Amino acid sequence: MTHVMDTRNQNRAGLGWLGQAVSGVLLLILLGLHMIAHHFVVKGGLRDYQEVMSYIGNPVIAAIELIFLVVVSYHAMLGLRSVLLDLGLGKSQEKWVTRSVTALGIIMVVYGVWLMSTLLSRV
Amino acid sequence: MSPVDSPVESKAYPGQSGQLPEHQVWRWFAFARRSLGMAGFVLNRVAGLGLVLYLLIHLVVLSQLTRGPQGWDAFITLARSPFFLTLDVILLAGIIGHGLNGLRVALIGNGLLVPWQRRLLVVLAVLGIVLWVIAAVLIYRG
Repeated sequence: MTHVMDTRNQNRAGLGWLGQAVSGVLLLILLGLHMIAHHFVVKGGLRDYQEVMSYIGNPVIAAIELIFLVVVSYHAMLGLRSVLLDLGLGKSQEKWVTRSVTALGIIMVVYGVWLMSTLLSRV
Repeated sequence: MSPVDSPVESKAYPGQSGQLPEHQVWRWFAFARRSLGMAGFVLNRVAGLGLVLYLLIHLVVLSQLTRGPQGWDAFITLARSPFFLTLDVILLAGIIGHGLNGLRVALIGNGLLVPWQRRLLVVLAVLGIVLWVIAAVLIYRG
């Protein structure tokens, strides 16, 4: 029974590590695009309100920004969890950490989607 | 092997990482007795925590967009000041360093390029510095 639990935990941990690595590679691309689009090709280095609105008014851009939000939130929360779990917490504290970072990640994505839909309704 | 470098299995990723710092956070910064790879691992965590904090602040700041041009454009004027541009350049160092070092950790952790890991570290470090300098010039130039 303990062996089965250990194997399950190992598989879950392996998936988490893979998820962290894959989302990290995706972020290299998505964050690169985000930085270029928002900082490096814009006169003055940052988009003003009108420029932001016309930029996100493009459905492809809006979709890419939402994918970026989901990937960055997932990567950040998984990384935060791994740092916290390696601090030597007890079982109940580990569960609390997992639930808290999951909740925070969901809040970040929901907030981002709300913000994007609010802005898109003004375009 | 020094006590600081003694193998500790990660609870988050058991079996995936051979050597991790001890559980006391202050021991992460005992660089004197660590290998270069270990120092990179610790720096990746510290930069990662900083970037999580920045991400949360960035999301909150974006709420200024809901206040319309007067809210957002006032913030943009502030963000274009030399002080904030310098903060952007520091942030970029964290992003580029964390990204490229994370790529190194992912490659080595999956058993790729292990015989060339020192060379990989040097190549990525040089690439990171070049990218950072180019980005800093673009940011200051505006």
